[in-house]
Amino acid sequence: MNNIKAIDDYLLGSMTTGDTLLFEANMLLNKELVNDMEHQQSTYAVIRQYSRQKIKDEIVAVQKILATAPQHQGFIHRIANLFKKD
Amino acid sequence: MAMNNNRLPTVEQREAFFMALYKKAFPNVARYVAQMGGSLEEAQDIFQDTLVIYYEKVASAQTEIIVNEKAYLLGIAKRLWLQHYKASNKNQPLNDFDTEVVPDEQPATGKILHYLETAGKKCMELLKAYYYDCLPVGDVATLFDYSGTHSATVAKYKCLEKVRETVKQNSLNYADFIE
Repeated sequence: MNNIKAIDDYLLGSMTTGDTLLFEANMLLNKELVNDMEHQQSTYAVIRQYSRQKIKDEIVAVQKILATAPQHQGFIHRIANLFKKD
Repeated sequence: MAMNNNRLPTVEQREAFFMALYKKAFPNVARYVAQMGGSLEEAQDIFQDTLVIYYEKVASAQTEIIVNEKAYLLGIAKRLWLQHYKASNKNQPLNDFDTEVVPDEQPATGKILHYLETAGKKCMELLKAYYYDCLPVGDVATLFDYSGTHSATVAKYKCLEKVRETVKQNSLNYADFIE
């Protein structure tokens, strides 16, 4: 599994102090490790973007249920009334 | 709100969670946005982002217990409204609440979908469960039908490697994902 786990532990702060020092020393000597770490950081950003979109889709779905289901019509009316301009 | 140790592993559980929050906190947020001259659509957009931010806080292990959920959600919504207000370049500043800088946590969109096609949906779902929903490995194993925590952990690293390889091949930088 090459360095995936080590980088994961390092970036998420779950490494011991000794291992962290060793890892950082390794980075000074190994450009490939630095590259991999940067790509892994980008990977977490990809995961975050993907996940946020998924959660947002679920929230939008809930909003649709509220807007359309008969049992929520009273609630929706009260909200809509807040925006009526008279 | 009963949060079962902050874990909401299934879509159904999250649906119930978000539904309850809509009922509880959306009227206040909508009233606020209406008072500020916003539209119903703007209130809905603000509240969606509010819930994303709140979900992230609740899911992450570091979150302290939030005593007044309703007030807390309104606070996030106000800050998002302020950001939105600034972004949309309206001409009057808002003076009636604090203007502390909103942390870099507003949900961003776009740029990701292309990569999912190559990375594979199951991997992304698995990684989401670990890193975003912050589920314990046992829950992840159950959710994704792995025989145990060891298999689930191995699968996580394999998926991480697969996505990292995609990122590498496309020479993506961390900055590309920050909007």
